Amino acid sequence: MSENYKFDTLSLHAGHIPDKETGSRAVPIYQTTSYVFNSTEEAASLYNMEVGGHLYTRISNPTVAALEQRLAALEGGASALACSSGMAAMHLVVSAICSSGDHIVASSKMYGANINLLQHTMPRFGVNTDFVNPNDPDAINRAIKPNTKLVFGEVIGNPGLDIMDVPVIAKICNSKNIPLVLDATFNTPYLMQPFKHGANIIVHSLTKWLGGHGIAIGGAIVNGGNFDWGDKDKFPTISGPHFALGGISFWEEFGPSALIAKIRAEGMYNFGPSLSPTNAFHLMQGIETLPLRMKKHIENTHSILNYLVNHEMVEWVKHPDLETHPDHEVAKRILPKGSGSIVAFGIKGGREAGKVFIESVQLASHLANVGDAKTLLIHPGSTTHSHLSSEAMKEGGLTDDMIRLSVGLEDINDITKDFERGFKAVKKLNK
Amino acid sequence: MIINFKGAKTYLGTGGKSLDINKRTLCFLHGSGQNHLSFIQQARFFAYKGYSVIVPDMPAHGFSDGNPCKSIKENAEWINDLLVKLNLKDMVVIGHSQGCLVALELNRILKNSLKALIFVAGSNEIPVNQFLLDLSKENPQKASQMMVTWGHGIDGDMSINKWPGHSHYGEGNNIMCMNKPTALKYDLHSCNDYSDGIDAAKNIKVPALAVLAKNDQMTPLKSGLKFVELIKNCETHILNCGHFLPSERPIELNSIINSFLSKLK
Ligand SMILES: Cc1ncc(COP(=O)(O)O)c(C=O)c1O
Repeated sequence: MSENYKFDTLSLHAGHIPDKETGSRAVPIYQTTSYVFNSTEEAASLYNMEVGGHLYTRISNPTVAALEQRLAALEGGASALACSSGMAAMHLVVSAICSSGDHIVASSKMYGANINLLQHTMPRFGVNTDFVNPNDPDAINRAIKPNTKLVFGEVIGNPGLDIMDVPVIAKICNSKNIPLVLDATFNTPYLMQPFKHGANIIVHSLTKWLGGHGIAIGGAIVNGGNFDWGDKDKFPTISGPHFALGGISFWEEFGPSALIAKIRAEGMYNFGPSLSPTNAFHLMQGIETLPLRMKKHIENTHSILNYLVNHEMVEWVKHPDLETHPDHEVAKRILPKGSGSIVAFGIKGGREAGKVFIESVQLASHLANVGDAKTLLIHPGSTTHSHLSSEAMKEGGLTDDMIRLSVGLEDINDITKDFERGFKAVKKLNK
Repeated sequence: MIINFKGAKTYLGTGGKSLDINKRTLCFLHGSGQNHLSFIQQARFFAYKGYSVIVPDMPAHGFSDGNPCKSIKENAEWINDLLVKLNLKDMVVIGHSQGCLVALELNRILKNSLKALIFVAGSNEIPVNQFLLDLSKENPQKASQMMVTWGHGIDGDMSINKWPGHSHYGEGNNIMCMNKPTALKYDLHSCNDYSDGIDAAKNIKVPALAVLAKNDQMTPLKSGLKFVELIKNCETHILNCGHFLPSERPIELNSIINSFLSKLK
């Protein structure tokens, strides 16, 4: 009782206590679409959100709820909602807060789909975004307009690894009563808990380090509960009467959990990007070892950085834990345990060298994901961005010699040995 | 709903339905440092069952402005004046924690004219240790955090919640943070200073229900059991949870209250 359990303990236990009937130590997979009501009254009370409970798995499910409650505990949030992917989480948040005519300020250096959603899709629905440099808090401040409804960015940007100065940006947002929404996929709550720095809403792709094994796609929204939605003119669909539930005011009825209540009642009801119970189970299995894995991810990353920085075939190395990174000081301050396990480096010999390197390594997997327990590599110049010229890539902040590396948990000597194989092949090519 | 009461913006939760003074009204009184959101899963439940529900945010709590009341008696007088203003007559009062002390005093003011009294995680006295009293003045946020941790049973520690995705700690802390920073200090002093509980409990002549928590660290079960002994014919239930019983055991609590209410005239 009142133990205030620490992070490692919560990673294993939060969200589940064995039940009396079965004693199941693991979180059971409730692979069901729906739940038998004991009475019409009980059914009505669930539909009316009078009390908590499950009525249909698109809205909530006991296995998914255990995952949600684990995430809420790990982030120190008021409530959480898990959904089918990181992108689903992002869309749920944006569509819950914004309506036609609203404006967003977002980082210009983010994961492609985050940019696409805001740059191309949302404007079709009347929601426009101004993109600004994530490491320039003044620019963020200047971009905020009277109709700005949220500020969005990635704590550690993908793929550029820019770091947002979260406490400074949170102060700006707070002073203007605008929620700061952060994609915290690359840091996970192990490396940094954004609510402690004043952020208000967290979006996760659970697909990556939280799940950690590359076996299940999933996403989550964690609600800090620390934002005042009471301005009815600014947030009419959260604090004013909402069509769901007979004109409910989510803010008045649910206070700190207003946003999650709204997303459940509207986003999950009407868009329906629910997470499968089995995937929730897989993702939770991953979270059980998150602290152990993140420690090793960081340890291996630091070793790899040392190896790459000193390698004759490497033109440049980018990681916020290196002193040469422009955001190194911010990273040291807000990510003292390390700034993640993604490394970008330039290989001598440009686009062709990148292609040969990727095709010559054996242990590292060539694929389009990050945050797996296994080491992953991609060479944007010969894959995702192969259709672009070097100049066009540069405009997007990428170079054609760049390799993105997601450092895994293998023995570090095996990883470097594998890379040597790749570098050797490149050397042959350069000769 | 928001009304202007005693010159201050005052919020009354009504469980998502409008107040109807012709119906039986359930008035929920929140505890120290809390507000209407302690009763999220009671307000809507009973409003949708056909009762009229009010859950006032006491002055300086939740969405209400004004100066915090400085004693249990002042709280009870404020509530009494509110009930008069709203012209509410057929009333059942449900207190949680400090709200139980306020309900005891309100019953004295109303001379046992309530239809019933319901005490949730309550007692006739709530002594507060000096450390918490001091902390509530110096660092109310820290004091709130400690109360949220002590106040929950194992479900708090383990992030177990009947409401899918919700965390007792995260939600509890933020509910308390919504109040004006001075509110907690006055609440805790009001509880600590209140000494008329024994007389007030013996004076109860209306039907009474007490729902106590087995692992209550704020108003310990032992104290709660002594309290119900003072009340004539108090129906008593004990639930296996901590002090924040309304959010820890909403279904069980609602069902106990519901069947108690159905037996009333
Ligand atoms: C930073 C970031 N956010 C969000 C996403 C989207 O996540 P998902 O693939 O789970 O939809 C990704 C995926 O690569 C990502 O890297």
